[in-house]
Amino acid sequence: MRKLWVVLVFVLLANGLARTTINYFSFTTDQNHVKDLEALIAAFEKENPDLEIRYTTAPFDSYFTKLQTNLAAGSAPDVFELNYENFVTFASRGTLLSLDPFLRQDTSLNNAFYPAALSAFRQNNIQYGLPITFSTVVLFYNKDLFDKAGVAYPNANWTWKDVLSAAQKISNPAQRVWGVYQPVQFWEFYKVARQAGGGLQVGPRVQIDTPANREALRYLVDKVRLKVMPSDAEMSGVSNEDMFLGGQLGMLYSGIWMFDKFSQAKFKWDIAVEPGGIRKATHFFSNAAVISRTTKHAEAAFKWVKFLAASPATVKTRIDRAWELPALSLAQRALFDAYLKRPLPANREAVFDSLRYAITPPVVENQSQLQDIINQELEAARLGTKTPEQALADAQRRVEALLRR
Amino acid sequence: MTLRRARLDWAHWGLTLLAGLGAVVMLLPFLWMLSTSLKPASAVLSLPPELLPREPTLEAYREVARSFPIVRVFLNTLLVAAATTLGQLVVSSMSGYAFARFRFAGRDLLFAAYLATLMVPFAVTVTPLFIVVKALGWTNTYWGLVVPALFGAFGTFLMRQFFLALPGELEEAAVLDGASTFTTFARVMLPLSGPALATLGVFSFMASWNSFLWPLLIVNDPRLMTLPLALATLQGLYPGQTQWNLVMAGTVIAVIPMVVVFLLAQRWVVEGVTASGLKG
Amino acid sequence: MYERGWRRTLTLALFLGPSLLGMVLFVMGPILASLGLAFARWDLLTPPEFVGLANFRALWADPEFWRALRHTFGFLLGYIPLVMLCGLGAALVLNARIPGRDFFRAVYFLPVVTAWVAVALVWKWLLNPGYGLVNHLLGLVGLQGPGWLFDPNWAMPAVILTSVWKDTGFVMAILLAGLQNIPREYYEAAAIDGAGGAARLRYVTLPLLAPALYFALTLSLINSFQVFDQVYVMTGGGPAGATTVLVERIVKNAFSYSQMGYAAAMSWFLFALIFLSSWALTRLQRRAL
Repeated sequence: MRKLWVVLVFVLLANGLARTTINYFSFTTDQNHVKDLEALIAAFEKENPDLEIRYTTAPFDSYFTKLQTNLAAGSAPDVFELNYENFVTFASRGTLLSLDPFLRQDTSLNNAFYPAALSAFRQNNIQYGLPITFSTVVLFYNKDLFDKAGVAYPNANWTWKDVLSAAQKISNPAQRVWGVYQPVQFWEFYKVARQAGGGLQVGPRVQIDTPANREALRYLVDKVRLKVMPSDAEMSGVSNEDMFLGGQLGMLYSGIWMFDKFSQAKFKWDIAVEPGGIRKATHFFSNAAVISRTTKHAEAAFKWVKFLAASPATVKTRIDRAWELPALSLAQRALFDAYLKRPLPANREAVFDSLRYAITPPVVENQSQLQDIINQELEAARLGTKTPEQALADAQRRVEALLRR
Repeated sequence: MTLRRARLDWAHWGLTLLAGLGAVVMLLPFLWMLSTSLKPASAVLSLPPELLPREPTLEAYREVARSFPIVRVFLNTLLVAAATTLGQLVVSSMSGYAFARFRFAGRDLLFAAYLATLMVPFAVTVTPLFIVVKALGWTNTYWGLVVPALFGAFGTFLMRQFFLALPGELEEAAVLDGASTFTTFARVMLPLSGPALATLGVFSFMASWNSFLWPLLIVNDPRLMTLPLALATLQGLYPGQTQWNLVMAGTVIAVIPMVVVFLLAQRWVVEGVTASGLKG
Repeated sequence: MYERGWRRTLTLALFLGPSLLGMVLFVMGPILASLGLAFARWDLLTPPEFVGLANFRALWADPEFWRALRHTFGFLLGYIPLVMLCGLGAALVLNARIPGRDFFRAVYFLPVVTAWVAVALVWKWLLNPGYGLVNHLLGLVGLQGPGWLFDPNWAMPAVILTSVWKDTGFVMAILLAGLQNIPREYYEAAAIDGAGGAARLRYVTLPLLAPALYFALTLSLINSFQVFDQVYVMTGGGPAGATTVLVERIVKNAFSYSQMGYAAAMSWFLFALIFLSSWALTRLQRRAL
């Protein structure tokens, strides 16, 4: 940081002109990627000597509360990140700047992005954000544990049944080894519900408590009941990723952003497209960079947004450092070759195969409340304080009440 | 007589033993905190838990200092607490003096209004207060952290009670010498107010040092973070799980200054806390 | 005071002005504003809109609010008796002339001066079911410790336990001050009448300690209605919403869900609760003493 300041002062003196400062707020930059972001900023500032990027990061859990208070306080960052789920909340309250004028002028971005990622950040036909990353969830598996239990490795044709039977063979709670971990929460449930032939619907009618969804939740919860998935107390605050890394989980449903961390594993592992139920469905996550409507430096802010979304430097950094994926059109396959060629995991094609089944979660204006309600009910079902049927009936009732308000 | 004596001794030692047991319960969490903070990451989740670190190391402290501007956070907290304390002392001693010695229309009504605010929980005022501070442009500033904390009926109340208990003759002598009210207050009354100022000062310092909800709401800039805020952040700093040795190291850094203040000014601390009903 | 005319007014303004300005701006103003806000809908970003009693009607119909209220009372019912008993016990023991008394008093008071966030984090770690000290110690005496903060049935007891640990010294300090005000002659008279230890406690100590007990009780009550920091850090209201409490709901509604008006309505409900219960306690005390 101090070095950066020295350089800064030097540049200021050399140019003799005041630089425009763009404040940037990020949740996708965790502790492992701070250095990467700083490198990107340095590259951007070299290209644009009159601009300076000042960044702040926050973990996902507290990011949105902070963002909201910042916006309310009139101290909004010029550029900030939104995930697809929370985008609507901010777009519908008129806090974002339309990017259309810039996009009309700058045709270099036509067809640059993965279409679903781009359209995710459009509301009422106005483009408010450029997607900077997308990602998906795959099934990670520990080959050594599969070998030891004598079970064939997962493949793209697997279904729930295969997961359960493999998990039962692998599990050995006495040795602190469990067959599988699949989080029981909003982001898993919307997708598993679809795999069961149902789905989470919040409009025009709320459809949460349906037979297919009940079956989906029973499937999720059964893993704990059958003791093929560790309970919270058994995990004792150790994260599922760390348990996988410690060789304690046969299978793990997690995001492709874990590749980097898992590359230090002391066992052999690979990935597969997530197994389905009666149909396949996978995650679609995307994050965008957006511009605050109150920014005083819209032009400069857009330059930074564009750099974050589509510059060669960003693409290279994201791929080299396994920092999610740039949300660019897959037609530009050459860009992703470097990604596919990286050694671990071997089956990287599964990432792109997964995107074929990608579905988006339901989104409403009061998204954080919706997610809190559903997460709370799902957790109650997982902990056994409610039956899955009760939990979904309650969720249905509470979401109806929320949306009526 | 000897029998009674013996029984008394038994009771005596029984009580001491009881007090000792209680003290163990009170101290054990602090020792566990210290012990965890001195463990390397690899030893934190060992089973059975190591009561004392087998290989004590300052690794966790170094890591906290590396990934977090902990010195800055520490100085922020100190600066904010010191400014709040000083400001509280000035504002409250003057208003307390006004209520104790001035006669003016509506004085008792105004004082009653002051007292009434003591009953309103902070949760009621926090939203509009946030808006006021926002309107002043003080979110994410030291002003926002310090200024709203300067005002509270408790300080005024405490100082007023204290001045009321001082005999008026003290001031009369000064007035005969032709001193102004301010001079009298500053030269005669304040030097006598040591105990009350100490009580209030310790109270303000502690309240500020430990304050959590308010900084949580108005500070987003990591450069302005205070210790309690930093601790809560430290818990979720790394993706995945809580790194307990780091969190405990942060906790030790946050706790030690308060413990020192307490040991140095034990009497005032106890008085400040019990007089205000403020806890931590 | 010693000046006359406009100089006197000026002096008064000098002394009272700063405090009054601050009180109006940062305390009384917000209190009144919050009262207004309770009848409005406001998301902080678009202009507020008057909605009459809608927020209070929504409160009445909101099962989340009732659950948080139940949890708040659950906390109170567990916490108050325990902290009063522990505080009284500590005060009685440390009022006796035992060796190291001052040291013990300091030790018991130590948690009181420690920041809630720090205490909550340390206890979260102590109560970790797999790697924490508490379950390890329970295991040594052959007990299988519960999942504590991970178990919806044990999360609130864990929060209560932590709070009692932190506040015992606070109650103790108030009661010690009360005990020191009891004249020695009362005990001497009781001893001459042949009263034993238990009788002295029952007929001398407790009645004379009553004002201090009421004081400690009232403060504990007011504070426990406002329980927040420990819940925020230890459980965030979980697991499965088993530890949501009123202030946590207020903060959540205001700053996560952007429902400022609704949060204000809830906070005034909380005020009414605090006001009524401390009033009832004062009445009770008057009748009893």
